[in-house]
Amino acid sequence: MAELRLVGARKSFGPVDVLHGIDLAVQDGEFVVFVGPSGCGKSTLLRVIAGLETVTEGEVYIDGQRVTDRPASERDLAMVFQSYALYPHMSVRKNMAFALENMGLKSAEIDARVTRAATMLRLTDYLERRPKALSGGQRQRVAIGRAIVRDPKIFLFDEPLSNLDAELRVATRKELAALHAEIGGTMIYVTHDQVEAMTLADRIVVLRAGRIEQVGSPLELYNSPCNTFVAGFIGSPRMNLLPATVTGDDGTLRLNLAGRAIAVERPAAGLAPGKPVTLGIRPEHIVMAKADADLTLTVDLVEHLGGETFVYASAPGLPQITLRQDGQARLARGEVIGIRFDPPHLHFFDEAGATLARP
Amino acid sequence: MPSGERIGLRGRVGAALGAVAGALAALPMRLLDGPMQACQRLIGAGRMPYVFLVPNFVVFGLFVFLPIAINIVFSVTGGPALFPSERPYVGAGQYAYLFDCGSYLDPNSCREDHFWRGVANTAKFVLFQVSAMVLFSLVTALVLNMKIRGRGFFRAVYFFPVLLSPVVVALIWKWILQRDGLLNAAITTLGGQKVLFFIDPSWAMFWAVFVSVWAHMGFYTLILLAGLQAIPADLYEAAEMDATPRWRVFRRITLPLLWPNMIVVIVLALIKGVQTFDEVFVLTGGGPGTATLMVVQYIYETAFANQVQNFGLAAAASVVLGLVLFLLTLAQLALARRKES
Repeated sequence: MAELRLVGARKSFGPVDVLHGIDLAVQDGEFVVFVGPSGCGKSTLLRVIAGLETVTEGEVYIDGQRVTDRPASERDLAMVFQSYALYPHMSVRKNMAFALENMGLKSAEIDARVTRAATMLRLTDYLERRPKALSGGQRQRVAIGRAIVRDPKIFLFDEPLSNLDAELRVATRKELAALHAEIGGTMIYVTHDQVEAMTLADRIVVLRAGRIEQVGSPLELYNSPCNTFVAGFIGSPRMNLLPATVTGDDGTLRLNLAGRAIAVERPAAGLAPGKPVTLGIRPEHIVMAKADADLTLTVDLVEHLGGETFVYASAPGLPQITLRQDGQARLARGEVIGIRFDPPHLHFFDEAGATLARP
Repeated sequence: MPSGERIGLRGRVGAALGAVAGALAALPMRLLDGPMQACQRLIGAGRMPYVFLVPNFVVFGLFVFLPIAINIVFSVTGGPALFPSERPYVGAGQYAYLFDCGSYLDPNSCREDHFWRGVANTAKFVLFQVSAMVLFSLVTALVLNMKIRGRGFFRAVYFFPVLLSPVVVALIWKWILQRDGLLNAAITTLGGQKVLFFIDPSWAMFWAVFVSVWAHMGFYTLILLAGLQAIPADLYEAAEMDATPRWRVFRRITLPLLWPNMIVVIVLALIKGVQTFDEVFVLTGGGPGTATLMVVQYIYETAFANQVQNFGLAAAASVVLGLVLFLLTLAQLALARRKES
């Protein structure tokens, strides 16, 4: 187990800047998830940590030691690849033992470590099989086993669940969480799936275009996103982001929402009348209201999930709004509904998309 | 003319030409349609695939199986006549003559010593040529698979000799290696003595192997390069994460995953090595003496070049050569399967 520190890590491929000066500290034993859309640089960042890519500028420290110029083989990290990267011509046992043989361990020690990891990952029946004779989930477990046996300083996971089907992904996700609880190593995990990030992480690092947008615990990011990007990226369905104009802020914030005036009871934030803002509200913080509705919407689509219902509705001049209703809401396409926003859960963002501090 | 009209006109001409080409292509199909339908009615749809195989099978039979059969017939007949009907049956006589040896390791003790010299020379040639070919092709493929400057240029350079005719290859090297050739000119310029490469038996065999490797290495390099490129890059990254030393990466990852391509290279190089004739024949003429006489040259000379044309003996030697190649291929494939399992 070890801590990791990145200082001003920048990475360019020719004229293309992929990482723009990343500063990050990962604590010993922490499970940190890098999340962001495709092309945001999260995998490159992981590869920089692994030593599979060198930084163009900046420093990488592991356990306080500068490893910036050290190759991957000298960093004592283990990586689980998206494609699993199992050696196809070796049995599961040999795949798991390969790195240990490189370390020059005695065969009794190698056997003991492989057996321990195989037992932990329920792979004992498959030790003599080759990877092609395993299912996707089993291959994934072998890849994890190959990392575990080494007892590395840090575990790196590069979208390890993306090749699994939905059911297996959920199961393996739970296994990973249990594994972290059991072995307690420092883990850095890359995904574009915010559900994986929310369920696995101690802390989430949200990346966009090679820059860190926000770092925090899953609920910090969910409850207090620092900008519209994080607000929209974390949470499923995503937060509703509605353009509005401030008409007054005197203890009651008065807004013009596509021609409709709404008033939000909240302390004054000093927003000047005429200032454009983006109002953010999560689907579960919108309530249906017969009277005193903030907005009147027309239902476009209703998704019944059994225990909850997602309603997609629209009003002229506004983007489609998503509502989450508990239970099985009896609504139909074309139906007109009134909604009210839950004031404590409203988020306000300025023109640049940054969160306006709550007063 | 406005561009829209011009494109429209071009489009119409193109469409018309396409329609004509389509009609022309469809014509033979239409002509065959009737007979094919009649054939299907006659033999049933289940047997129709065999009908489609017939043309290729006829060509294959005519130019491969029939010559093999004629060759076998020739090998069990004797005399100088060309037509099988005029040749007397001698049973295994030609084979007995070929294999009549005091010791197979000493060609001088054999009645047909030229054949056994050819066998010994071919075995020596194949041993060195295949080993050198596999080794140099592998090293070249490994280098060309690295991210080096001018990689495309070097790939073309190494492949270029493959495009040359074997006779051209041999003539080029003959000009370089002959008594007054380029190499001796360079040696004498540097103050050395001329080396008679084609007079010294060891040098002659060395250059026969060298020229063959030079001429064909590009082809085998290409096969190995394709194999190297098919190995996923993340396996090497995983090996790097596993702190695997470079030699171990090569031995435990590259080589096993390249093995199917290596088998192809070894089998092809072996077959081609045993069949070697034209390059060595033009380069050394089989000499000095019989130092570079190959089995195929022996067969050619026995059948066509000697004053007494002995078709039967040449045919028997061909059958023996064919059987050896067949057994070698089976052995290689068995080896590959064992390695695979």
